[in-house]
Amino acid sequence: MLTTVKMSVTYRVLRSRPAGLSLHGLSSLLQRNLPARKPGCGCRMSGTNRAAETIRPLDGVRVLDLTRVLAGPFATMILGDLGAEVIKVERPGAGDDTRAWGPPFVGSESVYFLSINRNKKSIAVDLKHPRGAEIIQELAGVCDMLVENYLPGKLHQMGLGYDQLSRANPRLIYCSISGYGQTGPQSQSPGYDSIASAVSGMMHITGPEDGEPVRPGVAMTDLATGLYAHGAIMAALLQRHRTGRGVHIDCNLLSSQVSCLSHIAANYLNAGKEARRWGTAHESIVPYQGFRSKDGHIVVAAGNDKQFVKVCQVLELMELTEEPKYRTNKLRVQNRKQLLHTLSQRFLQEKTADWLRRFEGSGVPVGPINSIQEVFSEPQFLFSEVI
Amino acid sequence: MLTTVKMSVTYRVLRSRPAGLSLHGLSSLLQRNLPARKPGCGCRMSGTNRAETIRPLDGVRVLDLTRVLAGPFATMILGDLGAEVIKVERPGAGDDTRAWGPPFVGSESVYFLSINRNKKSIAVDLKHPRGAEIIQELAGVCDMLVENYLPGKLHQMGLGYDQLSRANPRLIYCSISGYGQTGPQSQSPGYDSIASAVSGMMHITGPEDGEPVRPGVAMTDLATGLYAHGAIMAALLQRHRTGRGVHIDCNLLSSQVSCLSHIAANYLNAGKEARRWGTAHESIVPYQGFRSKDGHIVVAAGNDKQFVKVCQVLELMELTEEPKYRTNKLRVQNRKQLLHTLSQRFLQEKTADWLRRFEGSGVPVGPINSIQEVFSEPQVKHNGLIQEMNHPTAGRVAVPGPAVRFSNFSPSGPTPPPVIGQHTVQVLRDTLSYSDDLIKTLLESKAVAQNEES
Repeated sequence: MLTTVKMSVTYRVLRSRPAGLSLHGLSSLLQRNLPARKPGCGCRMSGTNRAAETIRPLDGVRVLDLTRVLAGPFATMILGDLGAEVIKVERPGAGDDTRAWGPPFVGSESVYFLSINRNKKSIAVDLKHPRGAEIIQELAGVCDMLVENYLPGKLHQMGLGYDQLSRANPRLIYCSISGYGQTGPQSQSPGYDSIASAVSGMMHITGPEDGEPVRPGVAMTDLATGLYAHGAIMAALLQRHRTGRGVHIDCNLLSSQVSCLSHIAANYLNAGKEARRWGTAHESIVPYQGFRSKDGHIVVAAGNDKQFVKVCQVLELMELTEEPKYRTNKLRVQNRKQLLHTLSQRFLQEKTADWLRRFEGSGVPVGPINSIQEVFSEPQFLFSEVI
Repeated sequence: MLTTVKMSVTYRVLRSRPAGLSLHGLSSLLQRNLPARKPGCGCRMSGTNRAETIRPLDGVRVLDLTRVLAGPFATMILGDLGAEVIKVERPGAGDDTRAWGPPFVGSESVYFLSINRNKKSIAVDLKHPRGAEIIQELAGVCDMLVENYLPGKLHQMGLGYDQLSRANPRLIYCSISGYGQTGPQSQSPGYDSIASAVSGMMHITGPEDGEPVRPGVAMTDLATGLYAHGAIMAALLQRHRTGRGVHIDCNLLSSQVSCLSHIAANYLNAGKEARRWGTAHESIVPYQGFRSKDGHIVVAAGNDKQFVKVCQVLELMELTEEPKYRTNKLRVQNRKQLLHTLSQRFLQEKTADWLRRFEGSGVPVGPINSIQEVFSEPQVKHNGLIQEMNHPTAGRVAVPGPAVRFSNFSPSGPTPPPVIGQHTVQVLRDTLSYSDDLIKTLLESKAVAQNEES
């Protein structure tokens, strides 16, 4: 019976829009009749007495996900992994841009899209349609958080900005992800990992020692931003336990990548020291880099003098340990070109697998430069079930 | 009066060690006399009505046993969010990175300074039995412990998760390692270089027809730290409902492989191996860096309209007439020739000129900034990414600031990275309520050390 009443009320409102009773107002009315599933504080006890061990950290938390492409969806995917209910809003028709990115496709599904969108529900809503925007407003009223990556100001134009939505739901946690920040001279530049990676200094420091800058082979700037965002969102949930209120969070590609520059940045800020590219090598430790082998590469991280001696043992180049100019790390750094040339020639003589075997038990950290296929054949990987 | 009683009890115990009353047991006894500051659930209401200035982790206490980069990066963010971070360092050398340099500011390593703000430092010898006991007691009054020892090492010292959680079932214990807590490679130490290689990151990074390289900063370490900081807060949220802590396994291998995202999925679903692309994009042209007269510029022309704009700005409109460049798919097929033409043109002007010409075109472009250029960007300054503070020995220092802003609190007023053992006495006295006599004995036994500087 209640259902019938609800339906007819809805119908009446759609037809006549009585003064004072907007669609939003009707929803508020309806909410009182909804099952007791309100935006959670995360503190709810589950209805059944499930063992403590099976309660995931974000069980009962509801996320309204307006993000597209990589940084945002990566963050909301992790929230979903932690138990949150993620409602992904996509525009009708094309949906998230990445649904079209490929090949490869599996059937008609973009592998790119598949890789970062598990544990989510998809709703197709046209935000530019007034009723579509209203639906988002209402959802924001019953969600714990909203995550978005529109150009700053765009959602506000649609009535979906933080100040607007938090008026109706002061507990709403609103996480904005952008290229450069919510305010400031570059805030209206769209956020692309390539560009942000360049502007933030990441490209400048990545590449061969005497070669051109390159970018990391996967969009680490986007991903770092997503990782910062997932943490910030949970920090805001923790904060809300004490304040009872939500917050507006500003995550952006530029800040995320510059923060990640850590010591590289601090070298400049404190000592005026500009960074440069080092290939696989380390500026202040030798030998600490990749070497070509007969059939691939091997990375060796000999962090101190003892480990250097071990390297010489394994390579059967004990005469190098007698050389005064290679005795300490400081000296090896000073004479790096010559030493590395000698070591490189030796590494070329055997296959990677042979070198790895010979280094076993030596205490020197070594590893292969794995292709993606080799990554997924690593026993440790298969063990940890990360697939 | 109570103070006097506690002191004499402490003295007697040290002398005679009555059966059944270990130092740990005494601490438990003492704890009942402690002020009501128990490990927080994060749900405590602040005394004053300061809703806007309550930071997310105010009242949360972190016992930080991590060293080098991934762990300290994670605990630094927790400190930025308001947590009290107690960084445990071995007396003498402390965290390895204190020796990493040049550059140094005074005697302080810039590397160490860059990732250790908002922490206290206590110098404790974990191999000393009393040192290990202090850590056990601290674990009893902390919300979380973060560590990056080889799996099993802390257990040998009586500081493993199963051991500490018996005394404190609410303890959140986050382990950071190279490859995981268990498994065939779990005993391999975690180095970013090696993990970057093993996890596929190096294979996919480098010039198109050149050798693999690693990202210029240790992104594998940093991604792990970022995963860890989130996981720790997830565990706090979970503890609100279960009342119990958890053991978290973060590691470099898993973090980097998870970040491979679509690159990994391409292989897993379509058997498609990845390769290196320099600054370019495999499936979009033009979408890469170009040399200019005096540097580089990156252009991200993601669709056909933007390609036309690029041709307009470059005054190469004839390219828009070429059938073989009409769609992105065709441009990808004919990339070598097109990119050669564009490259020649970009070389003719300076980066700043190109950026000016591209303004208002709608095509995303940007310079490849050196570090100096990064910190001259107005937006970088606007975002508060240069964080300055006064250090007790190094004077004025600057580090990259927090990446995330919250509308209801500001990251201002960080405490500077500590000198080693700066807070040893303070923590023993205020957090564990040790008497002055006990502290003096511990200092003399070299189980702990206090820096003279503070």
